[in-house]
Amino acid sequence: MKDWTGHLSRRTNQAVEAIVAILMAALVLDVWLGVVDRYFFHWQLPWPEVLARYLMIWAAMLAVSCGIAHREHIGLTTFVFMMPLKLRRLVLIIMDLLALALFAYLFWFGLGFAQSGANRFAMIFGASLRPFYAAIPVAAALACFQLMLVLIRDLGEQLELDPDQDDPQAQTTGPAQ
Amino acid sequence: MIVGLTFVGLIILGMPIGFAIGLAGLVGLIDMGGSQFLAVGPGKVFNGLNIFPFLAMPFFILAGEIMNHIGITDRLVKLAQVLVGHFRGGLAHTNMLASVFFAGLTGSATADAAAFGRTLVPAMVKQGYKRDYACAVTAAGSIIGPTIPPSGLMVVYGSLMGVSIGGLFAAGILPGLVICGICMMVIALGAKRNKLPKSEESAGFKEIIDTFISSFTALMMPIIILGGILGGIVTPTEAASIAVAYALFIGTFVYRTLSFGALYRMLVSTARITGVIFVIIAFAGILGWWMSFERIPQAIAESILVISDNRYAVIAIIIGTLLVVGMVMDITAILIILAPVLVPLTEQIGLDPIHAGIVFVVALNISLMTPPVGACLFVLSSVTGEKLERIAVKLMPFLLAEVAILFIFAFWSDAALFLPRLFGFAS
Amino acid sequence: DGKVLKFGHDNKADPFENPAHACTAVFSNIVGADTNGKVKVEVFPSNQLGSAAEHVQMVRDGVIQATLTSTGALASYYPRIDVLNLPFAFGSNAATYNVFDGEFGKTLADDIEASLGDVVVLGFPDTGGFFAVTNSKRKIADLKDFDGVRIRTMTLPSHQAIINALGAEAYPLSWGEVYSGLQTGVIDGQMNPVPIISFAKFSEVQKYMTLTNHLFSPYTFMVNRAFYEGLSDQQQATLRYAAQSCVAASRGLSRIIEASDRGLAGLMDKIEVTALSDDQRKAMAGATQPAFEKHIKENQDAKAGELLTLFKSEVKKANDASYID
Ligand code: NA
Ligand code: NA
Repeated sequence: MKDWTGHLSRRTNQAVEAIVAILMAALVLDVWLGVVDRYFFHWQLPWPEVLARYLMIWAAMLAVSCGIAHREHIGLTTFVFMMPLKLRRLVLIIMDLLALALFAYLFWFGLGFAQSGANRFAMIFGASLRPFYAAIPVAAALACFQLMLVLIRDLGEQLELDPDQDDPQAQTTGPAQ
Repeated sequence: MIVGLTFVGLIILGMPIGFAIGLAGLVGLIDMGGSQFLAVGPGKVFNGLNIFPFLAMPFFILAGEIMNHIGITDRLVKLAQVLVGHFRGGLAHTNMLASVFFAGLTGSATADAAAFGRTLVPAMVKQGYKRDYACAVTAAGSIIGPTIPPSGLMVVYGSLMGVSIGGLFAAGILPGLVICGICMMVIALGAKRNKLPKSEESAGFKEIIDTFISSFTALMMPIIILGGILGGIVTPTEAASIAVAYALFIGTFVYRTLSFGALYRMLVSTARITGVIFVIIAFAGILGWWMSFERIPQAIAESILVISDNRYAVIAIIIGTLLVVGMVMDITAILIILAPVLVPLTEQIGLDPIHAGIVFVVALNISLMTPPVGACLFVLSSVTGEKLERIAVKLMPFLLAEVAILFIFAFWSDAALFLPRLFGFAS
Repeated sequence: DGKVLKFGHDNKADPFENPAHACTAVFSNIVGADTNGKVKVEVFPSNQLGSAAEHVQMVRDGVIQATLTSTGALASYYPRIDVLNLPFAFGSNAATYNVFDGEFGKTLADDIEASLGDVVVLGFPDTGGFFAVTNSKRKIADLKDFDGVRIRTMTLPSHQAIINALGAEAYPLSWGEVYSGLQTGVIDGQMNPVPIISFAKFSEVQKYMTLTNHLFSPYTFMVNRAFYEGLSDQQQATLRYAAQSCVAASRGLSRIIEASDRGLAGLMDKIEVTALSDDQRKAMAGATQPAFEKHIKENQDAKAGELLTLFKSEVKKANDASYID
């Protein structure tokens, strides 16, 4: 069960990361286009600024689930490390369940939010705001899925493992400020 | 009350900071009663991120990642080394000066801490420095990165508070350089007591010139960014995208060390770092909204003004609040939740918005290295294996010096506003 | 058993600096006093609860009970508001009062209420008057002077269509980047009501200002419908006349700001100000109005077309009317 969920978590995450990389690349190109347009083409494209914001939100929100898969969302571990091992595992499992509740909330009410976007009109695109607002429930659903997988994978043992064991990339990055 | 307890309890129990903020906000919404309040949350998450200048953050992270990957960091360290490596404690000075060179590439203190923790700390230990001391020097220097532009925190501050990001960038240069200077003084004064080794022969003129040339492309980066902004070619956000273009160009055509696969991994890791930061911003949007609705910021502001409305007292209270809260909370979250409370106070005492902004940013940067919640300490501790509290002890003299510098810039507005005025951002 | 009316808006909390806050201050005073405190108004200024567009959603959801929203923020909920952007329409401030207090204002309010379903519209307060254009490239007096000037607009397609029809280039830029964009020359100019140009200190970074008066864009004052219908008839009447005073206050303060050193009077010696002759305005109207009407026709429904027709005839009536005559 644990191996299986770990495997599924990794696979899901690889797919999400590919999407996120494409969104990031599109984001860079989109902002370049805005600059180049102003100086060279004079097309006066109205949408690069707006599109950039929505691409950024989609990319960053989807990447939240990647952070969960890699346990990159850090908290204060000083007190947790003072606890006896069994209690620590129990506490960490409860924390995962609470985080799950948070993203479940965000998913459920995010559906309503995305639906409210259906009645709102992005004049720049001549379309509704729903595809952009959908970033919230979709990302929250993915976060829930990953949280469930890593909860079963780790069962509160995550602080006992080397967090970077199968993740050479984590070596090059810290959570930035 | 219940919201505060939820937040503190979750933090103590190891909940990731962003999620703890989200759950505290959620408890607040539930406490208000009524599903219409619960429905506010997702919109706050979305709109908390729906800010164009925020784009500068992932771009500066990406540019930094690329520059790091193509070997720029090593060249910058080498440059610092040939300049100051021959003093007693040469590598400690090198570490500090390299932070200044590195600052033009990165908007983040933890990027600096991670890069130097992996490269310079082992080199220092090998030369006979104590590991806790080497980590302390790295931590002290790491806040130079987000003080000298570009700076992710300035981008957030400027976007949320409606202050010119270019102006904040200009205001950060001087404090960043002064912090470097004062820390090098702390190193020199403690050199005997800490038994710092004297390292190499001084470099010859030719070696200095050669090293300078080989790191020239990296040193051009801040010039391109600031020149682009001040020269009216691009906005600060676009400048960040130009930084990416420049890093890509150097990596592909000058150093030829950039592969497609590496670029893919850097795009992913940039998105992941952005996700970790943005989830805090997003959830802080819910908590901040609940606080506004309950009029908590006004209550805090009034209670501060009751203590004193003297200009210097208010500044001291603000800095004290930021440093104390900064001990237990993530700085981006502090910025989003406390800035709306404290910034109006700075308006009441007549502080220039750019001056207030730079005081905020430097204070929060300093709290990146105060335990127990100090992101730079976390990173250094995990990268080097040194115990967090041992680094903290060795850090004390640096910390005191940097806080002193902060107060000088906070009280002396002519110094804080010298460069912004020079570039026309403040009057 | 008192009721609380939470009133959010996105402007500064100073009733002497800001038409929106002047409006809410007058409204909350009258409502509080004339209902004997049974309806208490709490104002949340300065974007405390979110952006203007979020305020609209919060009023609709009953999270707060009232807001003043700009046409830009309302557009995504009610696209037909775009017809107000008919360029070079009004001849004077007085004409705007007549149009928004008269048959057109009533029709627009009814249509907003019918389209959204969950709000009541109480009026159209002044945001600070007509739009002016500033730039640093050249003095703009004639239509041809607009040629090639890069002007920042909101991300509103109709505004972009208008700027393009003038021969200038429209570039959207987020508000936080406008000042430094003008200063450094990323863009040449921008357009806004005079008080905003003054508060944002654009005169520090711009050489020329032209009183084009090409747009007038009022707030829409809306209240949550369920809340409104839960009030007694007398309380509803109180809200109505309090709203009317709120609108009057916003207009009065806007005119005062224009006349003071915080408005046009103050800008006169910091920036070269140009007023247009009738012929110059006519040329600009001739260039932009067909483009605008084409834009509305292509992007909006028939109902918007009817609204535009009514708007034009009411504006014409108001322009032709003269005061106490
Ligand atoms: Na920097
Ligand atoms: Na800290």
